[in-house]
Amino acid sequence: MDVLQIAILGILLGGVYALMATGLTMLYGVMRVINLAHAAFMIVGAYIAFVLFRDFGIDPLLSMVVTGPALFVVGVLLYQLLFKRIADNPRFTEMTVLLTFGLALAIEGILGSIFSNIYHSTEPSYATGTIDLGSVFIPTGQLYGFIASLVLLAALWAFLYYTRPGYAIRATMQDRAAAQIVGVNVDRISALAFGIGVGLAGVAGSLLSYLFTFFPGSHLQWIGLLLALIVVGGLGSLAGAFVGAIGLSLIAAFAIDQLGPEWSYLTFYVLLFVILLVRPQGLFGKAETI
Amino acid sequence: MALLELRDVHAGYGSGPDILTGITLDVDEGATTCVIGPNGAGKSTMLKAIVGLVRVRSGEVRLDGQRLNDLRPDQILDRGVCFVPTDRSLFPEMSVRENLVMAGYSIDDKALLGSRIDEVLEMFPVLAERRSERARTLSGGQQQMATLARAWIVRPRVLMVDEPSMGLAPQVTEQVFDVIRGFRETGMTVLLVEQNARKGLECSQWGCVLDLGAKRFDGPADSILANPEIHELYLGRQANGNGSASDG
Repeated sequence: MDVLQIAILGILLGGVYALMATGLTMLYGVMRVINLAHAAFMIVGAYIAFVLFRDFGIDPLLSMVVTGPALFVVGVLLYQLLFKRIADNPRFTEMTVLLTFGLALAIEGILGSIFSNIYHSTEPSYATGTIDLGSVFIPTGQLYGFIASLVLLAALWAFLYYTRPGYAIRATMQDRAAAQIVGVNVDRISALAFGIGVGLAGVAGSLLSYLFTFFPGSHLQWIGLLLALIVVGGLGSLAGAFVGAIGLSLIAAFAIDQLGPEWSYLTFYVLLFVILLVRPQGLFGKAETI
Repeated sequence: MALLELRDVHAGYGSGPDILTGITLDVDEGATTCVIGPNGAGKSTMLKAIVGLVRVRSGEVRLDGQRLNDLRPDQILDRGVCFVPTDRSLFPEMSVRENLVMAGYSIDDKALLGSRIDEVLEMFPVLAERRSERARTLSGGQQQMATLARAWIVRPRVLMVDEPSMGLAPQVTEQVFDVIRGFRETGMTVLLVEQNARKGLECSQWGCVLDLGAKRFDGPADSILANPEIHELYLGRQANGNGSASDG
């Protein structure tokens, strides 16, 4: 395939991966939570988009106004009910790994009992359309997904850099104790960050619903990929998640072209391996924070 | 009545033992009180307990007679107690100016915050010079100035400074103590923890010796400096008067 064509496909998908990874890395940054249920929440978002599309004919892109807020509420509740009470435990991060993995499996089981374990996807008209540019083509669905992701990430960036709660979230990500010292109610900020992080998984699920097929267990392949992205970028780094997502997605696109489709996931793990050997803190991470 | 009172305060980390084993202390309004004592005496823990970063297990912390126990750190800051920790706790990836904005997080009046930021930038020319650089690029002394500037922005009633001289060159230490003296001259109450006991006491009116989590002695700073027994036990290593703090 043409190099430009491969690059286009890699970048478009990379933008969506960046959206998927941002909520995950943010939760780690704010609270040192490794949320293994992040992808399961994406799948929940995808099923919500699926039901809205099947039963009400609502476009999956439009469904983001439902999946985002719905999963935001789930995130806030999750923090209040599960994470807040163990936040002072010295082994908090390890505990969150087990807790969120259990949560992911529970979500998978519940989805399985409702939707059964068969593949689903939403099929809006643009999902299979292409824009022909002569020597290269742009898949319409991926283009829309890419644009939606960039708009959402830009909105998140503006929120984090220009609003008071945004300042507080960034401060808490950089130094939780220092944030408390300057008067940030880190408890409330953590709940907000949880809401945003899980809400981002929800909107990503809307995109996932038409860009990919999914079934309740497909969160497992996604979480592996997303963890690779954020570790490569540097755990807890928002810029790192973005660069990692676009970069890895580009490399994966070329690997698939040269080596075959079985490399679509393998590439991420190989690159993760290489980056960890060369730069264990990730591209944007600081050595001492890992 | 003292402005800040500790009454038989017990506190510790997680499920560990009590680090503070019953501290009773009065901090008078408008004075500077210096807490000295060997490493592990509980000096930093005491400050963290006052400000709510470490939970008080029993006993009482009062400001102006009102109980502070069980309040969150942000609520205690709202009451007027500001803490400058020894690791300086700036936000490393934020610019100096953003750090000052963050310092005023508890101030709702934007115009007031803006004028206070301008004021500290005037007070600390080195910060004005580097206002758009990231805090992590500042030297140790500049970081200490930035945390003190941060405290000045909130104008606390009680300023608690933990080991301001830690890791600083002697002439920079001097500047830091000058700033703290300047704060006191405005009527601010200062509670200082200092490894460099002589330096800290010289800058204070009142002194308190802490050991094994409880107060062993307190009195006017100059009488502590002159007390041969305390000298022997807690100031001995610095008896030649050069006053370079040891981390040992």
